[in-house]
Amino acid sequence: MLTDFKRIGRDLFLSGLNSSHSGNLSVRYGDKIVITRRGSMLGHLEERDLIETGLTKNDSKIILASTEIGVHRAIYQGTSALAVVHAHPVHAIALSLLEDQILPIDSEGAYLLHKIPVIGAEHTIGSKELENSLPGLLSEYKIVMVRGHGSFAVGQMIEEAYQWTSSLEQVCRIICLTRSLQGELKDGRSAKFTDW
Amino acid sequence: MSLFGWFGKALRVNLNTGDIKEEEIEKKLLTAWLGGRGLGTHMVYCEVPADGNPLGVENKLVFATGPLTGTSFPGSGRFSVSAKSPLTGTIFDSNAGGTWGVRLKSCGFDLLIIEGASATPVFLSIRDGVASLEEAGELWGKDVLETNQALTSKLGKAVSVACIGPAGENQVKFAAIMNDGHRALGRGGLGAVMGAKKLKAIAVSGNKKVAVADSDKMDLVVYEANKWVKANPITSKGLPEFGTPVLVHLFNELGVFPTCNFQGSQFAGAGKISGEAIAETIYSGRKGCYRCPVQCSRMIKIGNFTMAGPEYESLWALGPECGIDDLEVIAKANHLCNLLGLDTISTGVTIGCAMELEERELLKTGLKFGDAVGLLQVIKQIAKREGVGELLAEGSRRLADNCGCPQYGMQVKGLELPAYDPRGMQGMGLGFATSNRGACHLRAYMVGPEALGVPKMVDRFSTGGKAGLTITQQNINAAVDSLSICRFINLAVSEEYFARALSAATGVNYQPQDLHRIGERIWNLEKLYNLRAGVDSSFDTLPPRLLKEPIAEGPSLGRTVELEPMLAEYYRFRGWDEAGIPTPKKLQELELGEYSC
Repeated sequence: MLTDFKRIGRDLFLSGLNSSHSGNLSVRYGDKIVITRRGSMLGHLEERDLIETGLTKNDSKIILASTEIGVHRAIYQGTSALAVVHAHPVHAIALSLLEDQILPIDSEGAYLLHKIPVIGAEHTIGSKELENSLPGLLSEYKIVMVRGHGSFAVGQMIEEAYQWTSSLEQVCRIICLTRSLQGELKDGRSAKFTDW
Repeated sequence: MSLFGWFGKALRVNLNTGDIKEEEIEKKLLTAWLGGRGLGTHMVYCEVPADGNPLGVENKLVFATGPLTGTSFPGSGRFSVSAKSPLTGTIFDSNAGGTWGVRLKSCGFDLLIIEGASATPVFLSIRDGVASLEEAGELWGKDVLETNQALTSKLGKAVSVACIGPAGENQVKFAAIMNDGHRALGRGGLGAVMGAKKLKAIAVSGNKKVAVADSDKMDLVVYEANKWVKANPITSKGLPEFGTPVLVHLFNELGVFPTCNFQGSQFAGAGKISGEAIAETIYSGRKGCYRCPVQCSRMIKIGNFTMAGPEYESLWALGPECGIDDLEVIAKANHLCNLLGLDTISTGVTIGCAMELEERELLKTGLKFGDAVGLLQVIKQIAKREGVGELLAEGSRRLADNCGCPQYGMQVKGLELPAYDPRGMQGMGLGFATSNRGACHLRAYMVGPEALGVPKMVDRFSTGGKAGLTITQQNINAAVDSLSICRFINLAVSEEYFARALSAATGVNYQPQDLHRIGERIWNLEKLYNLRAGVDSSFDTLPPRLLKEPIAEGPSLGRTVELEPMLAEYYRFRGWDEAGIPTPKKLQELELGEYSC
């Protein structure tokens, strides 16, 4: 398990999807969660950075768990996910500040993600609001953006949740680049996913 | 004088003469030393002779609140008491939560100074700023809860009571001052100082509100600080759900959970006494201090009797330190200490020391590791100074010295070690050795960086960089203690918020760096006092066991504290000379030139 966490954590950091100490990863097995330690560096994970605690029940390990432990737990309880990746992809965050949903305009993005909902919350870190709203959306979508904060992606394995995160940022970079070119889009395929 | 955050007033009570008078506190003193520990240190430095007898009339007790006490800032319900300690011979401050500090401040006082000694037992009543000394002969001999009940019956439920139990009356060297029933100004024997003054209790109530300079800014800072408290799993889940015993498994698994007078570092019975075990068995509810969003105190129920549950340190000292894994026995021992007014850490470690001395046939007490009945019995004897209790009431340093085996006293400067084996946490070791009040985990609180990752996780086995980190922590914590803010809030909220809240409350502009400098000034002033009291760098050390005997098993296997190189670096980093004395240049830099050692 440590190998997977180290590999994905390192990739998330090196590809700019997280800053030095941001983001968190978790996997579920049975009634337990393994989640990254609060304040750990995803690019340099060690054994002490993986914290095992309860899916529904706190134990003493909770004091070392990621600040987003409540949201991860809520997602596991409200979806069939077995892995969650939370990242801070910069282009996606920028777009989330302007949009209520992100519609991929490139073919791969549209093929993989179709639509990425954007939700806002008064408190965005360790947030009860997000514990309530994210599981429902992540039952329907692979990845959701929290406005001005970051993405939460689910998968059956951690690599899968990482893929959606990486794809989202790719999608958003393409949108930002296209907008900066200020031309007229020749392909309007994204519009059909508005109500996806 | 128009002030915000502070009232700028002290109440001085002379127990020799019965005189009670109000005094103004200069604004420059308040802005420089803030309150709590800082202001208390300044007052003790200026007014209590360093070579005086801590239990003599020359010692004074300085009760101090902080500029944030009584405001809406989270965790602002604490207060401190400073004096010269009868246990350590050093300058000493101890602090507690509850409501007493807030009530004192709502009488319009930042400070309460008790001097002299009464010929007969008295209690002090301060209600709405009006103070009087009352006869307390009927209270003398009563335990802490009885005293609380008697005074709230007499004065009304609005009063908050700080008092001593029989241990304080009998001047046990580690007697506590107890407030709000079960809260303890535990360490350092300040309850013995109160007992020597024949002051049984102080009951306070008031209605004055603290004026805040910029309430909009304060509201914003409080809102943002509370966001972090609610988001951080330590303050939003771990402490509220399990209390401080949440730490049992963490430190046991790190192999730094001392057992049997620090002969072992892991406890087989940890699962029976952990935060989880309490939650599943004897837990009956939570209780918190004024303005506390964490509410970490436990109430527990044994049979039909509800009582305050043991904190992590107490649980350890009265449990694994004495080889005991029976949760109910530990809880009863903790309750007994609260009733009698004893510091649980020093009580447990002194008993642990006696058990090892018995094991080694160096002292005949009949106390053996794991002896639950003996534990409960000897706690009562200590408080009454009866039988073997007379020996133990002097603390582990004097106990071990009297047996000719000082190495078995697990203490620094006379203060018993708390629940962390520093052999597996090098910074903690340096923090214990250099602490101005003896072996205290809270001065540097290296639990944060070495175990909890606050502000960031460092290698607990490494000595590299620990001197600088320890100093930074000691300095900022001195400032936080002077604001009289709970340390647990500091686990979620950085000093930046403290500085902003302090600025909003007082109208004086403070930067986070100012707090570090204030803390450094406090640390150096404490050091100067200790040097005058004869507590020099030869006391900046650890029990030989921790320096020479490697941990025998577990994740910290083979470790000792590598103190010498860290200590040399520490003195240099502090700007002190090789003998651990602040240099004139450093004192000048800190504008402490007028003070001397």
